[in-house]
Amino acid sequence: MSSNAVNALPTWAGGKSPFRVSYGKFMMWIFLLSDAFTFSSLLVGYGAVRFSFPSAVIEEISFGQDLHEKYHDGFVETMQATGVFSESHWPSPDLVFNHFPFLHGLHLPLLFVSLMTFILIFSSVTMVLAVEAGQRMDKRSVAINMFLTILGGLAFLGCQAWEWTQFIGEGATLYSNPFGPVTFAALFFIVTGFHGFHVFSGVVINVIIFLNVLRGTYEKRGHYEMVEKTGLYWHFVDLVWVFVFTFFYLI
Amino acid sequence: MAHHNTNIDIHDEENYDPTVWVPKAHSHGTKALWRTFWFLFFVTILDILLYFQLDPGMFRNIVFIGLGIMKAAFIVYIFMHLHYEQKVLKMTIVLPMIFVVYLIIWLLQEAHVWNTLIW
Repeated sequence: MSSNAVNALPTWAGGKSPFRVSYGKFMMWIFLLSDAFTFSSLLVGYGAVRFSFPSAVIEEISFGQDLHEKYHDGFVETMQATGVFSESHWPSPDLVFNHFPFLHGLHLPLLFVSLMTFILIFSSVTMVLAVEAGQRMDKRSVAINMFLTILGGLAFLGCQAWEWTQFIGEGATLYSNPFGPVTFAALFFIVTGFHGFHVFSGVVINVIIFLNVLRGTYEKRGHYEMVEKTGLYWHFVDLVWVFVFTFFYLI
Repeated sequence: MAHHNTNIDIHDEENYDPTVWVPKAHSHGTKALWRTFWFLFFVTILDILLYFQLDPGMFRNIVFIGLGIMKAAFIVYIFMHLHYEQKVLKMTIVLPMIFVVYLIIWLLQEAHVWNTLIW
């Protein structure tokens, strides 16, 4: 094939846009598809490793019980001694992620991560309201909703930092885990870390778009499509969290 | 922006220029958005309730994965507006997910074998 023949062709000879979306938005969709494959690989890999271990040993602890009082901060050691936490089987998530800020020592499984999930759902709805306001060219409403989305993203990141600090403080790293198999802690840090980095990039992108909204960049351009594109990314991050929440905390 | 020409109409349906063309945006209202929000909100509450009500096991896991897929579908179709896009775009995004289904079947089968090996 000679390059001249290629250059002689017009850029696009098909008439109308086949997908009826702009080039940028289409490429955002393709990027998110590839990102979905990356997250699927991580989560399916987690599922496979977990499935290859025997199920967790069930330890009945009533909701809200004061573990600090009962075990004098020796909860993990007691569970290791009784065989509830051992390297040969997967730990039950509600014995690992059972903390809540300012309620030290109480057994509160799923509560904190549910709060994180609700924060992300709220920031998703403010994002989609910003997109909708952009379609109506309502600059003020776009700005307010973008700002609320950024706050939600920062709140989520703060919660995740607290959760990581807690888990690391108990002795979990990429290569050690007092609760059970090392792969449990390693995959927890890799997958929630990869998701958390997506949230962080999403917040950075949202801040840039928010500043452009305030400066009137999109008002001048005549459309708020950049808000729609960053909205696609932000909702994808929420979508991934649905599955991280399901696989790491519920199952 | 080298291609940008101030005389061009970026929304022009007939003279489609892929470097600048953007379809004219129009709102679909906020009703479906709020309905999706409440759906996500209550399904998450349902997740929490089922976590404490059902015994751990394969049945509960399947319920959680099913609810997760429902939540994901609402996020993609309403929040990400895929519902309002062309059929060809919907298929471009949704059909490749068959590879993920394949990966799940294949890797869980593998894991079943690892289960019988000594680590």
